[in-house]
Amino acid sequence: MRAYLLSRLAQTALVVFLSLTAVFFLVRLSGDPVLLFLPMDIQAKDVNEFRQRLGFNDPLPVQYARFVSGAVRGDFGESLRYRRDALRLVLERLPATLELGVTALLLTFCLAIPVGIFSATRRGSLFDYVGMGAAVLGQAIPGFWLGLMLIYFFSVRLGWLPTGGIGGPAHFVMPCVVLASFYAARIARLTRSSVLDTLNEEYVLTARAKGLAEWIVIGKHTLKNSAIPIVTLAGLETGQLLGGAVITETIFAWPGLGRLTVQALQNRDFPVVLAAVFVISVTYTLINLAVDLLYGWLDPRTRREVAV
Amino acid sequence: MSGAALRRNGLGFLGLTLAALAVLAALAAPVLAPHDPVKADLSQGLKPPGSPGHPLGTDQLGRDTLSRVLYGARVALFIGLCTVLLTAIVGGILGLLAGFFGGWPGQALMRLCDVQLSFPFILLALTINAIVGLGLRNISISLAAAGWVADARVVRGEVLSVKQRDYVQAAAALGTGRARILFRHVLPNVAPSIIIVASLQFSQFIVAEAAISFLGFGVQPPTPAWGSMLSESRDFLYIAWWLAAFPGAALALTALGVNLVGDWLRDVLDPKFRV
Repeated sequence: MRAYLLSRLAQTALVVFLSLTAVFFLVRLSGDPVLLFLPMDIQAKDVNEFRQRLGFNDPLPVQYARFVSGAVRGDFGESLRYRRDALRLVLERLPATLELGVTALLLTFCLAIPVGIFSATRRGSLFDYVGMGAAVLGQAIPGFWLGLMLIYFFSVRLGWLPTGGIGGPAHFVMPCVVLASFYAARIARLTRSSVLDTLNEEYVLTARAKGLAEWIVIGKHTLKNSAIPIVTLAGLETGQLLGGAVITETIFAWPGLGRLTVQALQNRDFPVVLAAVFVISVTYTLINLAVDLLYGWLDPRTRREVAV
Repeated sequence: MSGAALRRNGLGFLGLTLAALAVLAALAAPVLAPHDPVKADLSQGLKPPGSPGHPLGTDQLGRDTLSRVLYGARVALFIGLCTVLLTAIVGGILGLLAGFFGGWPGQALMRLCDVQLSFPFILLALTINAIVGLGLRNISISLAAAGWVADARVVRGEVLSVKQRDYVQAAAALGTGRARILFRHVLPNVAPSIIIVASLQFSQFIVAEAAISFLGFGVQPPTPAWGSMLSESRDFLYIAWWLAAFPGAALALTALGVNLVGDWLRDVLDPKFRV
């Protein structure tokens, strides 16, 4: 188990390192990187001065070595806009994103899994049709449009909720609903199909034949066995929540990592972009690692494969 | 036909109808649109839906919303189609080669996929787009660069399994050349998976393009793209709801139609994937 964990952590480090390298070279392949780092309306002589100061006149291997040695120490340079350490700036925004993400995730699970289970156990009922219809719609409606429409109804027309920013519980409502909508739809559909598959298994038939109460058949024999595909998708989706946060945070002016990243891209603040790429890929791979470890608990059959 | 099959076909039909409407809007936009989608007329600014000559109202510059939504279908479907073709070709070829020949290049390719999958799709496409630049062509390239991994992985997995089938083994035993096995025996059996992945990715690309344009990258004004229309509508949400409502509804209905067609295709082509 420990060997497995160590090898996975090493893999994580490799993944993070490679994605940083990719961004580093992408920035330099796309032409004169100085132009990316600077505002568009800058004077020619200033460009040269900046190029010298940011070290872009050095040969590429030297630049890369400097970048790597900095990145290893968590030094991505100074934000060109805020004149502060880029990594610290990114880390300061991380809690707001995690707060929003965790709340949206809880909302997703509280909504999607019961809906999926009820739809499966009452297959063909009105509940099934309405629930799955809503899920198909939820998958198709783009989050940023849903966000705009919610703001229009609940903030502009009704005045019930704040349009954006961070504050009390009321500020959480719309961003969470928007962030959760897409994932809840997918997880509800997958829960339904996974529970339906499990209900056809022989051990469920056996449990029923033994005369167990229906809630025990579902609660004890079906749910744990249906959980693996759901955990897989939930794990993948949890990472994608970080992507969804980019859009949700921008619409609702939520001071998180996603909004900072978009602003950094808009301002051509590439030290911040690199730091954000670093933090996001670390977070994402750690989430996936946690999901993999969960499998072993859910399905002992996978433990052996894990050990190899 | 069972109830489930009927419902699936019903949803497939709904999807086909919605998708056909989007295609019709895109193809016939010059005929259907009552006005030039980019021509401003400040005297007609911010008219609500139902105004004479402007059934869906006008924006802050007096441009006709209906015309812009219709032309927006062109931009959305064009980008979706180009990106899907690009990802299917690039991802398909790489996956085919990685699966068929294996060895260290195949392994390296799969590790590359792992790395790329360790980053959220939309953020990756956004970052690439911010670096390579804006406009129709670059947004398509950015989305494809972020999306080819799915095709490569699925195709490689399929090739690995098809390679073990008896008819491929038999062809190899008969001394058939590798190129012939690849194109005559493996490729036709992998094609359905490519079609399924492509149809499921199509709406993902359309929505991602709109999201990226919404954030101010991707397609730039005055090109009538749904995402950039939504982006502009934010400033007028308090006084002109229709500027946000109609382009978004067009986007959602198109995505819904394409999703349903994708689900239906998956059921028809490959029962294995059935949800």
